[in-house]
Amino acid sequence: MKKWSEVALGVVTSIGGFLEVGSIATAAQGGAEFGFQLAWVLLLGIASLAFLMEMTGRLAAVSGRTYVDLLRERFGVRFFLIPLVAVFTVSLLVLSAEIGGVSIALQMATGMAFRWWALPVTFIAWLLLWRGTFGVVEQGTAILGLVAISFAIAALKLHPQWTSLGAAFIPSLPSHDRARYWYLAVSILGASITPYLYLFYSSGAIEDKWTIEYLGVNRVTALLGNMFGGVLVISALVIAALVFAPRHIHVDRYEQLALLLTSPLGRAGFVLFLGTLCITCFGTTLEIALALAYLLAQGFGWSWSENLKPDKDARFSAAYSVLLLVAATPVLLGMDALALTNISMVLTAASLPVTVVPLLVLMNDGDTLRRHVNGWISNVALIVIAVLSVVLLFAALPFQIAGGG
Amino acid sequence: MSEPANTIVMSALVGRTVRDHRGRALGRIVELVAEVQLHRSGNDYVVTRIVIGRYGSLDLSGIGQLVPCAGDRWRHWAGYRRYEIPWDQFDLRDPEHPRVQRGVGDV
Amino acid sequence: MRGLSLVHDVLDAQLVDRNEEKIGRVDGLLLEVRDGEPLRVATILIGGAVRAERIGPWMTWLRRTVRRMARQPDERVSRIPFSAVRRVADTVQLDVDGERLESGHLERWLAARIIGRVPGGSEERT
Repeated sequence: MKKWSEVALGVVTSIGGFLEVGSIATAAQGGAEFGFQLAWVLLLGIASLAFLMEMTGRLAAVSGRTYVDLLRERFGVRFFLIPLVAVFTVSLLVLSAEIGGVSIALQMATGMAFRWWALPVTFIAWLLLWRGTFGVVEQGTAILGLVAISFAIAALKLHPQWTSLGAAFIPSLPSHDRARYWYLAVSILGASITPYLYLFYSSGAIEDKWTIEYLGVNRVTALLGNMFGGVLVISALVIAALVFAPRHIHVDRYEQLALLLTSPLGRAGFVLFLGTLCITCFGTTLEIALALAYLLAQGFGWSWSENLKPDKDARFSAAYSVLLLVAATPVLLGMDALALTNISMVLTAASLPVTVVPLLVLMNDGDTLRRHVNGWISNVALIVIAVLSVVLLFAALPFQIAGGG
Repeated sequence: MSEPANTIVMSALVGRTVRDHRGRALGRIVELVAEVQLHRSGNDYVVTRIVIGRYGSLDLSGIGQLVPCAGDRWRHWAGYRRYEIPWDQFDLRDPEHPRVQRGVGDV
Repeated sequence: MRGLSLVHDVLDAQLVDRNEEKIGRVDGLLLEVRDGEPLRVATILIGGAVRAERIGPWMTWLRRTVRRMARQPDERVSRIPFSAVRRVADTVQLDVDGERLESGHLERWLAARIIGRVPGGSEERT
């Protein structure tokens, strides 16, 4: 019975987890400029993430080891350097964007410039990691993240044409602005398929002491969680399509995103938007900070656990503390948050191969997974995702240049 | 790094191209298998077999794992070969150029 | 296959001490060359300098430069006799006390000097 309450928790965590500044911003821009048309890209991203999370979760539950742990051991330190540097750099950028997201929400709520919120926000995030346990972090952000459901409510209130939306789930080519379309497709995928998420999920499974008996929980969590989270991001796209597109509003400032909820829901929408932005970005801040610390600690063999007192895993604790500060710096310096978000999404998309391709090896390793190696469905999905990731690697820079900004 | 004179770091061996007595390349060292050797003053692990892989660098990066998983037919088609050679057929006087006593055909 | 696969199972494996505390990873192995005898697996190496060497000369140079700038002594490599290995499984367990290892220096220093000094960093003493 306890296991299924964990499913509920995992699902709820994913709801808020899926929605964060990158996914909101990219979905909103997509909807504003191309209506429903990019919905298929969202679907592709959601499905890919669901598969990747199920796999890294299964890896942890069966082997008792995290993805990063196995990555270093099976591939050696020389190869490990590549995903280490790639994931580290990109995730740090996304972390900055998330801190920026919380800061901007607070700016909109109080009028005080977002720069001055960077340090207080970072401090509270640090405090929660310092004093909290993994369960507290997981549960707290999960419950609060439910405020994101307001996006689904807002989308429903606008009475979208369901048939048009349904049709948009089939891939289509743009009729105008081709470079911009594909640029947005790349950034949407980068916002959906984020390495820190499935790396964090793998470590979380170990923190929560998952065993083989949790394989069912893992599957359901990965599937349902991403499904519900996906519904919310698609809602953001739908709202943008119905609110921004008809008025030809081009999203280039964060404040405009508030219109996503104020248009359908009025004053209450404004409060809900700020709440959603604040909470989901804050939750993601905690996740990425931990994911970065897990990456370093597991890669180098340090002791690690959010459930330990900081002095018992000193390097791990020092890592997330220092990295939070480093990530806060661009926000502190007043860097354009939306530009930061967009760049980090595209870079995330480009960095995918280094964590997806090794998974092809690990998920088929009978020594590690015994009879729980990938079946043909998972392997086909993984190969498709791997090919997609390589395409994104080569497409990201050209499309950033041609269609960005 | 200063190490005792008669020792080598394992990473200096792994990945080296192994040649036979005629100088023909057999592949690269991808694995060293050690077993326990009992003697008076305690047990030691000694390297009893050295494994050479035809596509050495693939093995080392871990992608070599995919090959066994892909099945025997693929392996045969790709000409993938692994040789396990007992330690006494190895000449490691020059660790940078390991040699095997026998010829390619005999392995 | 009988025997211990040094590259697959030992190299880069997570190390734990006799109390199951994580003490780093196997960054390198030292093999003793003996005339007419097989190579003896002599020592486990733990340390950034060892890793750097495996990555490449550029990494070794980078590391040395950074350490010189931070005015740190050049190496803190732990050398543990292979005879200390108790178990090779998911982790490699060594019959050592992690508190005494050279390579644990940064962890201990951080825990004592910084982390432990920040409120909430350690178990409260009553």
